[in-house]
Amino acid sequence: MTSPADTPNAVRQDKYYLALPLGQRSPLRVIVDKRNLLANLLLLGLLILLAGASLNIGSAASLSLPATLRALLGDGSPLDTFVIQELRLPRVIAGIVTGGAFALAGCLMQTVARNRLATPGIVGLDNGATAFAVASVVGTGISLAPPAMALTGAAVAAALTFGLTGRIGVRGYRFLVAGIGVGAVFGALTQLMLTRVSIDAANAAYPWTVGSLNARPDHAVLSLSLALPPALLAGIWLTRSLTVLRLSDAVAISLGIAAGRCRMAALSVAVILTGLAVAVAGPVGMVALIGPEFARQLSAKNTVPVVGATLAGAVVMVAADLLGRMLLAPIEIPVGIVTALIGSPLLLWILLNPNARTAP
Amino acid sequence: MRVLTHCLSFGKPRSLIGLWLGLSGLLAAIALLSLLYGAGDVGPARAWQALQDLGAAASYDSEAHFVIAELRAPRLWIGLVVGAALGIAGALLQAVTRNPLAEPGLLGVSAGAAFAVTLAILWGADTATLRVSVAQLGALGGCLCVLAAARLQGIGSDPIRLILAGAILSGLLHSLSSLILLYDQHTADEIRFWVVGSLAGRQLDDLVPLFPTLGVATLLTILLARPLAALALGEHVAIGLGHHPRVVRLLVIVVVALLVGGATAAAGPIAFVGLVVPFAARALAGPDIRRTLWLCLPLGPIVVVSADIVSRLVVPPSELPLGVLTALIGAPVLIGVVRGRRLPTL
Repeated sequence: MTSPADTPNAVRQDKYYLALPLGQRSPLRVIVDKRNLLANLLLLGLLILLAGASLNIGSAASLSLPATLRALLGDGSPLDTFVIQELRLPRVIAGIVTGGAFALAGCLMQTVARNRLATPGIVGLDNGATAFAVASVVGTGISLAPPAMALTGAAVAAALTFGLTGRIGVRGYRFLVAGIGVGAVFGALTQLMLTRVSIDAANAAYPWTVGSLNARPDHAVLSLSLALPPALLAGIWLTRSLTVLRLSDAVAISLGIAAGRCRMAALSVAVILTGLAVAVAGPVGMVALIGPEFARQLSAKNTVPVVGATLAGAVVMVAADLLGRMLLAPIEIPVGIVTALIGSPLLLWILLNPNARTAP
Repeated sequence: MRVLTHCLSFGKPRSLIGLWLGLSGLLAAIALLSLLYGAGDVGPARAWQALQDLGAAASYDSEAHFVIAELRAPRLWIGLVVGAALGIAGALLQAVTRNPLAEPGLLGVSAGAAFAVTLAILWGADTATLRVSVAQLGALGGCLCVLAAARLQGIGSDPIRLILAGAILSGLLHSLSSLILLYDQHTADEIRFWVVGSLAGRQLDDLVPLFPTLGVATLLTILLARPLAALALGEHVAIGLGHHPRVVRLLVIVVVALLVGGATAAAGPIAFVGLVVPFAARALAGPDIRRTLWLCLPLGPIVVVSADIVSRLVVPPSELPLGVLTALIGAPVLIGVVRGRRLPTL
């Protein structure tokens, strides 16, 4: 007879997993991968560090650490308090939520398409959301709030790309080229709208075309902040099914997972997050590639790093914004350009390295 | 003369000549429309009258004459040259990479040219001749990058991955260009209207510096047509027929760089023309590269000039950038080709 301690669960619990009790006397345990826990804690620490640095450093004044803390709590000098609370804190918060949203969407979509390169930016979602957001800003008859319009745009682009794939499926490279085509159409439409309107309206819509944390409309940040936690919970809830879905549909279905429904749910979450994030910061699509990639390097190999990708995306976004503000000091490089300069070589490397796997 | 006919001999002369003449007639009609229609006050009737009065010294409508001679005619000429150059460059690039999707705009060739021009203006260049050669050098750089990628293990056989690599390279170069524009306001002002790709506001003088290099490119294309057709049968066959595949490939890349660099210098980066035109030409004339090249000659200008007419008429009195229209036409073609059951191989 085997004792309870010899069951596979107990062994695995010792080596790779941690069973956290849900309550003081509850028999329920949450099984956590030790490596993922460590990776997430590391990313969280990095995020706090970078957010602190981002609050500290700026072109107006680089405050000392105690001064920053005092200003953050509201009893520093009026100027410091203004700079920190009104200028830098909203920017950091916007960076964290958009980065997290983009990266979570990227992680989900990569898993659904079983392709590391299939991020929302590449398959045209960013451009679709941008086109619709610009349409609402320049006011071409449709005057829904930008977040709602961006959401609609992302949904339309996703429907187009996934609907058009049909026979060719989503796994191969052809899907990506079809997505690039859809993205090109929406990019052209954005250009079209920007040339039709007056220069003032075009300038108002400009941040949406490069990706920047400068504009960050308040209601857009608010709606994204409200949407991110439920989306993250949904992602965590989907993790187990998605992990199995990475193998094959046959395996997933035989394990009792509704493959179609699960894929649809993950895709919807990705579309919502991308649309709302574009409404805040514009198309910073490369974060959706860099964030999950970063998290995957740190996390255990056999899981879908949903939480890790969210944290890593926030880290990348805040770091890129900080870098963009510091590099050419009086001029600010939009965060979209910084991430594109970092992300494109990474993308090329994944694509051209003959040994790289395309499956996430 | 015998050498020329030898080099350009086409398979079924009669049908190709018929097609070619028909397309040329269409092009002439579109060119006339391009002179007649525009965003200003000079309507088709006035323009037609002015065109008829052109030879006679009679009291003609000086405003209409000015609009036609100084505004519309230069656009037409540049559209013709740019269209032909981009169409032929697309056909050549597709033949040499054996990839039906290889398009100068998608593969980073145009982006290389645009980036080089941005750099040159940042460093203080502004004469038109310099701009042309710089754009051609940049295009060559873009070409070589893509071809180096295609040489990597496992990529050369997969056309789709090559296209993706090119698209990413284009994105990277585009971000670098934006970074420079952001850094340097003077460059930004000088280049803003060029970087979107348009025929508006060009003068005939912009065309002159293109002619030497375009002449060289034409000559090389005539000489390369036969070796390319042989290369389409496979490397061994081409060697057996006495051609040198490496030399041919290198020369074709140079020609593509000259054509795309020249077109980009004149009109800014215009995407998708190099995809749509050879696609249509192959559909009309079959896979032989020589026949394709002949048909690209009228088809390229047809696409560019008619897109230019539409760009003037859609939102009068303002204009659409030409690149927007070609993207709207070209992207569906791209998606259609990608969705095909089997990629057509070249």
